[in-house]
Amino acid sequence: MADHDADPRRRFLKLLAGGTTAVLGALAAIPGLGMLLHPLRAKSAGPANEPIRVAAVPADVKPGKPVRVDVISNVNDGWSRYDKVKLGAAWLVRSPEGRVRAFSTVCPHLGCGIDWDDKNGKFLCPCHQSGFGTDGQCQYGPSPRSLDELEVVATDTEIRVRYQRFKVATKTKEPIG
Amino acid sequence: MTEHHPPSRSHSRHGSAPAPQSALTRFGAWLDSRTGYSTVVKLITDEPIPGGARWWYVFGSILSFLLVLEFATGVVLAAYYDPSTSGAWASTAFIQDSLSFGWFVRGLHSFGSSALIVLAAVHAIQVVIFGAYKAPREMGWLSGLAFMGLLLLFALSGYGMPWDEKGYTAKQVDFMITGTAPIAGPFLQRLMQGGETMGNYTLTHINAAHTYILPAFAVLLLVVHIALAKRNGVTPKWGVDEAKLARHTQPYWPYQASRDAVACGVTFVLLALIVIATHGAELAGPADPTGTYQARPEWYMLPVYQLRKYFEGPLEMLVVVVSPAVVSLLLGSLPWLDRSADRDPRRRRPILFGALFGGIMLCVLGYLPIRHDAHDASFQQSRAEAEERGQLARTLAKKGVLPEGGLAVYRNDPAFHVRELWNEHCATCHAFTGRGGKDGPDFLGYGTRPWINAFLRQPDGPRFMAGAKYEKGMKAVAGTDDELGALTELVYAQTGASDVDHGLAEKGKGLMSEKDCDSCHDFDGTSGNTGPNLKGYGTLAYLIDVIGDAGDERLYGAKNKMPRFASKLTPEEIADLGKFILAESRKQK
Repeated sequence: MADHDADPRRRFLKLLAGGTTAVLGALAAIPGLGMLLHPLRAKSAGPANEPIRVAAVPADVKPGKPVRVDVISNVNDGWSRYDKVKLGAAWLVRSPEGRVRAFSTVCPHLGCGIDWDDKNGKFLCPCHQSGFGTDGQCQYGPSPRSLDELEVVATDTEIRVRYQRFKVATKTKEPIG
Repeated sequence: MTEHHPPSRSHSRHGSAPAPQSALTRFGAWLDSRTGYSTVVKLITDEPIPGGARWWYVFGSILSFLLVLEFATGVVLAAYYDPSTSGAWASTAFIQDSLSFGWFVRGLHSFGSSALIVLAAVHAIQVVIFGAYKAPREMGWLSGLAFMGLLLLFALSGYGMPWDEKGYTAKQVDFMITGTAPIAGPFLQRLMQGGETMGNYTLTHINAAHTYILPAFAVLLLVVHIALAKRNGVTPKWGVDEAKLARHTQPYWPYQASRDAVACGVTFVLLALIVIATHGAELAGPADPTGTYQARPEWYMLPVYQLRKYFEGPLEMLVVVVSPAVVSLLLGSLPWLDRSADRDPRRRRPILFGALFGGIMLCVLGYLPIRHDAHDASFQQSRAEAEERGQLARTLAKKGVLPEGGLAVYRNDPAFHVRELWNEHCATCHAFTGRGGKDGPDFLGYGTRPWINAFLRQPDGPRFMAGAKYEKGMKAVAGTDDELGALTELVYAQTGASDVDHGLAEKGKGLMSEKDCDSCHDFDGTSGNTGPNLKGYGTLAYLIDVIGDAGDERLYGAKNKMPRFASKLTPEEIADLGKFILAESRKQK
């Protein structure tokens, strides 16, 4: 076939075919990408950010004997709603002043579950061996900050914990969501 | 965009480029020397169209475009769809009502599938008119027919995926029909359902078929079909001699390509407009295995549905299986029924009239059930009710659906939730039957004059405090009907009712000490006496107080036997229960 590139009609048809295809592709891509990227913009409908009652009373929390409690609440996840599922867990600690404090069990380093080492009286991360005191301070290991403290509302008969998640691997404690 | 394929010069492997070239052109030449891709591009772009580009050649390209659109929207939908009985309806409702562009993408996918079937039919009709199935294009025709069968399987499986009333009931019927087929029927039904009844297996199976197995076959058939079309070329209009066709031959790019692109563009715009006008595909309420949804098949299955009505018993099955088989066989053997080399429709009248008759039959059979339903008041009402259910369910779904499955969405309804609370926490002792609760008062008619009057006459009667089994509870009030009427009015006045006879209530107040009411009951709302303080008795606020803590010293104090709900339920739940009790107490039983 001879080259008709000088032919204005042929040039126009090329433009028409290419242009229409490009516009069509873009038009179809907008809704598709918009839907795929929804999680980037949507706020996660998490639990109501209220202190949640846990299965321990202040008398259970003795000095030097941290107590691990699950924080249980209703959760919305995508299209589902779950009643009474584990949001996470907290270590309850009796501070030297006699106050009940709560630390998230999520390691601030890379999110592993913090365990209690009863022999040495320390909190230990089983993944990368960060060690924390009962005051939450990081004593050794790669953790960039101390354990994340959670707000506690305690009366004589009940303990409530405001559960939050924080960004990991940062020097400062920044809540997620 | 327009110059995306390299100029012919770069085709030579040792391209010595005298003129300065852009970086893109140089990259194209380099890539071509390593891959030879321009050969493939040229195969498509330079395909000769004998007789030149025509608008009536666009349908194959539209179909390809629609298939790509179905694949693309399908992949995006798959990123959010949950093929389980607990999540299928909930995730579809989430896509439809909560996700950005979800309704639009789902609408494109759903209406796009209908458009595919319509255009495949147009494509086939065109082939019949042009005699394009004749030698050497028989395999093209057969692969096209196979593709149509595949499209139907896509649509049949996709229809059930939302697990809504509409899809679920339609699939139920499909499976039942399959099950009645001789020999292989029960086996096929079990296989498709994934067991004896519909459930999780059904969804995982139709999902696997719809999103993995069928697309694999579709790609395979599409490649074969297009390769055959390219090999054998387009079918020009009949009766034009070869020399003339050759003289007017044009390359695919850009002559036919521009027409194809415009046609695809118009198709997309029309499709998008339909989706916007309808706000996407329909979604009924969640599947209800005990429901009475009036199932109808997909529109392109209506002819078979109608045909089935004319036959009964074993014949019904025969129609459903045999009639599509006969039609498929007839269509498949068309190239051998119409063997002459002549493609001119005027000399192929029997074939064309046969096809026309078949087409009209399909349209009539498809239209009859639509007309029937349009005139069927009970069908219309049932559909309107289903629509209402669907809307309610979808509104409630925005709060999230419990893992029990789509139907659990109705538990998000406050009215439903409060009834659950009543059943769980209250109904063990109380009732609305008028015969008395098991361990506490019956609330049918609570706070009305007859209820109060009956209470005063027999406080430990079966409808009242008998179940509570108080020691030293309230004594029956002895007196004339007038006296009791006045005391009743005194208590009734506390409910805040609008028809209170205040004179009578005053008279009742005067009887308080005579009848020894005041030794136990106060009306100031603050003091705690042996009996409940009756301030605001029968109002919502009073009920909220009692439910929250009936053992408060203003209420039943030390005598109380009812649990304290303030620590078990939220204030909203307690208020909802109070409203529920008031509403139920006024219902006539």
